[in-house]
Amino acid sequence: MTTGQDRSCRGGGLYVHVPFCASICSYCHFARTADHDRAARTAYVDGVLAELALRRESCGLLRDGGRRLGTAYLGGGTPSLLEPVLMERLVAGTVHTLDPAPDCEFTAEANPESLTADLAACWRDLGVNRISLGVQSLAPPVLKVLGRRCGPDTARRALALAGSVFPRVSADWILAPGIAVAALRDELTEAVDLGVEHISFYILEVHEGTPLAADLAAGKLRLPPDERTASLYLEAAAHLERLGLRQYEVSNFARPGTESRHNQGYWRGVPWLALGPAAHGCWGRRRYANLANPVAWRARLDADELPEAEVDLRDTAARRLERVVLALRTGDGVSLAWLPAGALDLAAGHREGLWETRAGRLVLTPRGFLRIDTVEEHLARSLA
Amino acid sequence: MSEALARTRNFCIIAHIDHGKSTLADRLLEHTGTLTGKDMQEQVLDSMDLERERGITIKSHPIRMEHTPPGDALHTLNLIDTPGHVDFHYEVSRSLAACEGALLVVDAVQGVQAQTINNLYLAVEHDLTIIPVINKIDLPAARPDFIAEQFMDLLGCDPDEIVLVSAKTGAGVDDLLGAIVERIPSPEGDAAAAPQGLIFDSVFDPYVGAVAYVRLFDGTIKKGQKIRLFGNEKIFEVSELGWFRMKRVPRPQLTAGEVGYIATGAKDVRHVRVGDTVTLAEQPCDGPLPGYTEAKPMVFSGMYPTDNDQYDDLLDALEKLQMNDASLTWEKETSAALGFGFRCGFLGLLHMEIVQERLEREYSLNLIATMPNVEYEVVMRDGEAFLCENPALLPDVREIAEIREPIVRASIIAPKEYVGAIIQISLDRRGVQTKMEYLDTERVNIEFDLPLNELVVDYYDKLKSVTKGYASLDYEYLCHRPDDLVRLDILINGDMVDALTCIVHRNNAYSWGLKLCQKLKELIPRQMFAVAIQAAVGTRVLARTSVKAFRKNVTAKCYGGDISRKRKLLEKQKEGKKRMKQVGSVEIPQEAFLAVLKVER
Repeated sequence: MTTGQDRSCRGGGLYVHVPFCASICSYCHFARTADHDRAARTAYVDGVLAELALRRESCGLLRDGGRRLGTAYLGGGTPSLLEPVLMERLVAGTVHTLDPAPDCEFTAEANPESLTADLAACWRDLGVNRISLGVQSLAPPVLKVLGRRCGPDTARRALALAGSVFPRVSADWILAPGIAVAALRDELTEAVDLGVEHISFYILEVHEGTPLAADLAAGKLRLPPDERTASLYLEAAAHLERLGLRQYEVSNFARPGTESRHNQGYWRGVPWLALGPAAHGCWGRRRYANLANPVAWRARLDADELPEAEVDLRDTAARRLERVVLALRTGDGVSLAWLPAGALDLAAGHREGLWETRAGRLVLTPRGFLRIDTVEEHLARSLA
Repeated sequence: MSEALARTRNFCIIAHIDHGKSTLADRLLEHTGTLTGKDMQEQVLDSMDLERERGITIKSHPIRMEHTPPGDALHTLNLIDTPGHVDFHYEVSRSLAACEGALLVVDAVQGVQAQTINNLYLAVEHDLTIIPVINKIDLPAARPDFIAEQFMDLLGCDPDEIVLVSAKTGAGVDDLLGAIVERIPSPEGDAAAAPQGLIFDSVFDPYVGAVAYVRLFDGTIKKGQKIRLFGNEKIFEVSELGWFRMKRVPRPQLTAGEVGYIATGAKDVRHVRVGDTVTLAEQPCDGPLPGYTEAKPMVFSGMYPTDNDQYDDLLDALEKLQMNDASLTWEKETSAALGFGFRCGFLGLLHMEIVQERLEREYSLNLIATMPNVEYEVVMRDGEAFLCENPALLPDVREIAEIREPIVRASIIAPKEYVGAIIQISLDRRGVQTKMEYLDTERVNIEFDLPLNELVVDYYDKLKSVTKGYASLDYEYLCHRPDDLVRLDILINGDMVDALTCIVHRNNAYSWGLKLCQKLKELIPRQMFAVAIQAAVGTRVLARTSVKAFRKNVTAKCYGGDISRKRKLLEKQKEGKKRMKQVGSVEIPQEAFLAVLKVER
């Protein structure tokens, strides 16, 4: 007997990174560029196809043929900035050549302002069956802090459109300064009413070198105290739960059965192939990170070399540590058998409401998820 | 008396820290041609990095110089450079006993300090000829006339006996060499008599074993002869002996009046104790020289590796340090909170700091040191008495008849405007004033009988701060005296942390408990769970506070590209947490174990 999850585990994943954006958001520290033209985008697509050809020679995941493609994910950047003809070439040359399973989950990320009806139709025809929309908020002051281009109405229109075209719709949300608890509850309710069944809910992070960090340093913006952020996060988690979206990972909520199988693969150790600048792939012991700069990445490919900036050959201890901390992030928790004796004071955690133990697993509560870094640190130290 | 003996001078330099003792020694070496320019570096006799960095002398460094005064014959000058700090009081007294004269060096700006006076008294006790020297006369703020008056009051000397020098520029150094030859008496002694020599220091040399630094008063000792030590009745064969130049220079023999070294081959420096008397096994002298005692540790502290895997390394390092430091003691100790470690005994706080620093620096150990404490005499109701140097081992107060604590006589010299503040901080620490005298119109010498424990905790830092650094302190053990002392325990999440236990006066227990809890609250970082901190005497809780748990972490997203980064961060944090000790489910940083030292009264 097999479940959907088991099937995905036997399949592999594919991640393709699209590094282009129309503008740069204040908080973003990803590999992306707003400086691109049609020629650059064409060169990029050619590059991805060249990278796949090169990787077919070296990657066991692709060679042995035993694995079908269980999930595919087009992330960015902003994949919705690729014109349909380029998108078609990209998907045809990657996803479609990798023997996708009949139930292959195929996600693409889009910005509300660039998702048009034509584009949506094109994507659906290419096999995209799950769309992830970068909404972040429906509150104008929050969108301003985040430097997002679209207003709340654009986001609403995009959510409605996505819901009418794609079987599954996810939205990204950011808990940022300037939102009140009632407004947060209302916007999450509204999203779910518009057909969103999956929400990735993040607490705003400030990364060095971003415009947001500069604003904070200059005193133009202040972050609320941790206590307030913590209570908003717990309130959002409880509210989403009430709306029927279960917390299945630190920052992911879904109606049961609509969890992102692709992302679950990361937390469960499913191997995946990654293509494009700054993409990270992993199979067996080997994890690689591609060069982040699209020009440097392309140049390496032109020389018939793998465009990798870094390779991490994980030893047993490293893999064990990853396995434990990644499982801890999920709503299924981590098997108690994986934890060294005495690694955590289980009773104290129960008492403080940080975790529960059920069916031989330690499962963090929302309150526990808020302190997950500390719990991970403890575990890391007890895993010799 | 032999010609050579008549032209020998044995002397030491007495000075307060920073008054230029080591620099003056450098100049003497230079002016006597003992050292040529290319060998010259600052503080040449201070060979340890720590000595140079901190400007202090830890081990004594004797050196033999040759000097020909104008119109006179060649003279031999043996300089015995001594440790200057109060912790090494006993070593200083032995070095003084090896000399006929002393240069009393005082800074031309700062004047006479507490250590100067105490060491001067020590020199006078040993009947040394004192040459008063005012150093740093090149400084713009120098006030040699004023300092000269202090000298005249102190020594009853004539103004023209005072030698003015600048160890920095070399001015006056030739006059000083002249004064040494003219005024310091030559040693007396009979080279044919039964040998009698004083061991004024000893070091361990991996090639020749323990090496005794010796002042020979009578007799002759030759290479290959068997020597006997009075302290432990041990007999060693002299594998090598000789003089001190920049290095040790082997000679066929040492004779009465000379200063030199004797390699004993002993495996441990503790067999060759400072202050012991050396003689020949076959031609023994009548008895030992007076003044031999074993330097006893005054201050104790638990030392634990933060990482239990380093226990064996710590043991090894302590053994190696002890080979060269007979006054360092340690015994194995187990703490419920800290695991396996050692209870170490030190001569004083500086000695403790030096040992800790050397363990961490020279042996790459990460240590948790518990707060320093002293040795109590405990008398039980059933009459049994014992010494207790670990507060956590003090039995239930109800079974104790009496606890006696070590009292020191502390003398402080400071400008008169600080007298009120000095008295206040001393009374706050249970001091009893025993003396106050004006040294001149500006400066006062005050003495207190003070519990050593109070001194160890924060007295010196406090003294420096209330006198803006102008006070100097010296102290000497006086006696053990009973007082109403109780054991104050600290409980973290309900469990007693033995490494945080301290002994305090009953009247101060409440305020101590309160302040200690507050300080621990500041020092223990927020963690996964709330941390309850309590202070208790017996079963009675005097104070409580808590460290709240973390409210939130960043909870960053974690997809494909984040996993390696996340793992590497965790691996790095794991390294960074090495200075924290896990006690139960609580992580306690190293500083917390020294919280007592940081409590404001």
